[in-house]
Amino acid sequence: MTSPADPGTLLDLGTLAAIGVMAVMTLFNRMAGFMVMRFIPLTPRVRRILECLPGAVIVAIVAPAAAHGDIAMAAGLAAALVAAKLLKSDFYAVMAAVVVGAGLRFIGV
Amino acid sequence: MDAQSSPIRFTREAFFQGARVMMPLMPGMWLFGLAFGAASAQKGFSWLEAGLSSGLIFAGLAQMVALEGWRQDWTVPSLLALAVLTFTVNMRHLLMAASMRPWFAPLPAWKSYPTLFFLADNNWAATMRYYSQGGRDAGFFVGSGAFTWLMWVLSSMAGQVIGGGLPDPKAVAIDLVVPAFFIAMLVPNWKGRREAIGWGVAAVVSVGASFIVPGWWFIFIGAVSGAVAGGFVDDKPR
Repeated sequence: MTSPADPGTLLDLGTLAAIGVMAVMTLFNRMAGFMVMRFIPLTPRVRRILECLPGAVIVAIVAPAAAHGDIAMAAGLAAALVAAKLLKSDFYAVMAAVVVGAGLRFIGV
Repeated sequence: MDAQSSPIRFTREAFFQGARVMMPLMPGMWLFGLAFGAASAQKGFSWLEAGLSSGLIFAGLAQMVALEGWRQDWTVPSLLALAVLTFTVNMRHLLMAASMRPWFAPLPAWKSYPTLFFLADNNWAATMRYYSQGGRDAGFFVGSGAFTWLMWVLSSMAGQVIGGGLPDPKAVAIDLVVPAFFIAMLVPNWKGRREAIGWGVAAVVSVGASFIVPGWWFIFIGAVSGAVAGGFVDDKPR
């Protein structure tokens, strides 16, 4: 059977419950990090850590993606880095990554 | 109270500025949303359920991951397992929200907490660059978030209706769009030694953890290690 399961139901209660559970958990994550910081005094050290946090989060998402990806992924992200640095444009950074990545995959790298 | 000393403003200009910054992501995000919608249709989602999923959860990675183990019958244990999965996949949001504290702390709770609903990877990354360049208008955060939210919901519902027949996301390198956008947000934040150490530690630890620790912990572990390492690099005495 390849047909979609249980077609026709616009809103299934079980599905709604599962979506609800995910929505609550996601909202919890969004708010809890902000709330916890209420109880941690913003000393200069903590401020510096928080200042460093965004970059560290981004690196911790991108670096493993590059490490586990194919050559096209690594080359595309390197192209994005160069484009962002030289052209200072988000648009060209994304374009460079997609063109290099798709190009390399097209020729079978 | 928040008008006198707090530097937080909310203007329509910043709202649209925030929305505009997200533009380079839109072709890729639409394809991702269409792919989620199509995949959700395979699991029996209606267009309404696809829209509710994107509209209420608003976290593409978690929605995609959860879809892989989606069931027709939900029991209490399976719902609990889903809750744990969602928490671990989205743990990075804890850190992203923590990084908003120095900026949003002066806001009354009834304003700051609901606003955090709009915290998602891409618009948060854009907002952090805006903040590090001196921007303090909360309209930027809400504008970039609301625009992303709207496009995410619309593309998911469209994908559910269209179903299959989409181009292979890997062939057109859609999986590179978000990391490339992240890099573009990151580059202007480079200031020197603190970033070299903090980001270096984050890179080494997250990559290492991604091979050793199962699941999605590598983001959290890598980011916290990097931020703490960077935070202990003291400002140079003048």
